[in-house]
Amino acid sequence: MSLLHRLFKAMDRVSPAPVADAHCDIPCGIYDPHHAQLAAHTVIRMVDLLGQLEHPGADATLAQKKEFHSKIARYTATKEQHAETYKQEVRVLWGDYFKPEHAQKFPELHDLVWKALKAGSKGRQEVNLAAAEDMLKDANEIARIFWSTKGVEVVKVKAPYPTERETVYPKFK
Amino acid sequence: MSPALEPGDYVVVNRWAYRRREPAAGDVVVLRDPERAGRFLVKRIVRVDGPGSYSVAGENEGVSRDSRAFGPVHRSAIVGKVWRSARA
Repeated sequence: MSLLHRLFKAMDRVSPAPVADAHCDIPCGIYDPHHAQLAAHTVIRMVDLLGQLEHPGADATLAQKKEFHSKIARYTATKEQHAETYKQEVRVLWGDYFKPEHAQKFPELHDLVWKALKAGSKGRQEVNLAAAEDMLKDANEIARIFWSTKGVEVVKVKAPYPTERETVYPKFK
Repeated sequence: MSPALEPGDYVVVNRWAYRRREPAAGDVVVLRDPERAGRFLVKRIVRVDGPGSYSVAGENEGVSRDSRAFGPVHRSAIVGKVWRSARA
C-alpha cells in the first residue's frame, strides 16, 4: 500500500470522501431467478429446523442449553440472511431485468413481485412455514415468466434438496 | 477505468482546473452521473463535441457505461479534473 494511499485512507476515515464509480450499473444481462428460488428453499429449511428443535428442559446441562440457543441463533440468522437475499434478487429481476414489454405481456408481474416481497418480509420476520412456502411459490412463478421471456420451456419438479418442494427449472436443450 | 484507475484507488479532484481553461480530450474527470442523481463517475474525456459538450469513456471499454450509452455530457456535469491518484 502506498504511503499516499494510507494517508488518504486515514483522511477518509475522519472525513469520508464521496465515491466516484468508474462504471455505473453495468447492464451485464446476467440474471437468473434461481438465486431467489434457492433462498426460498433455505428459508423453508430453516423454519423446518427451528420446528424440529427440542427444548432441552429445565434440568438440562449448561452445554445442552448452550447448544440449543446456539442452534436457534444460527437457524434464525441464516433465515434472516436468505430472506433478505430473496428480496434483493426479486428486486433486481423486477427493476433491472423485466422490461415494459414483459410487464405488458404478463400483466400479473407487478402484483406477483409485490406479493413475493411481502412474503419475503413475512418469511424473515416470522417462523412461518406458510410464508416461506409462499416465497417459493412466488419465486417459481417469477421463474416461469422469466424463462418464458427467454423462450425457454420450464419443468416443475421436486427439488433435490431436503425441502423437496416443487421448483420451476429451465428445460435447456 | 482500468488500467488508469483501479477499484479502491483514491483520487484528488481539482475543482478549479477548468476556471482558466476548458476540459480537453485526454483529461480524466469526475462528473455527475447523467443517469442517476447523486452519483459520481470517473471517466476520460475522449472528444470535445461542441461548446460545453463532451464525450466521456471508461478505459475498460468492454464493461464501461459511458457516452456510448448516455451520450455527451454537459460542461456543468463535470465536477473537476483528477489531479492525482493513489493506488492501494
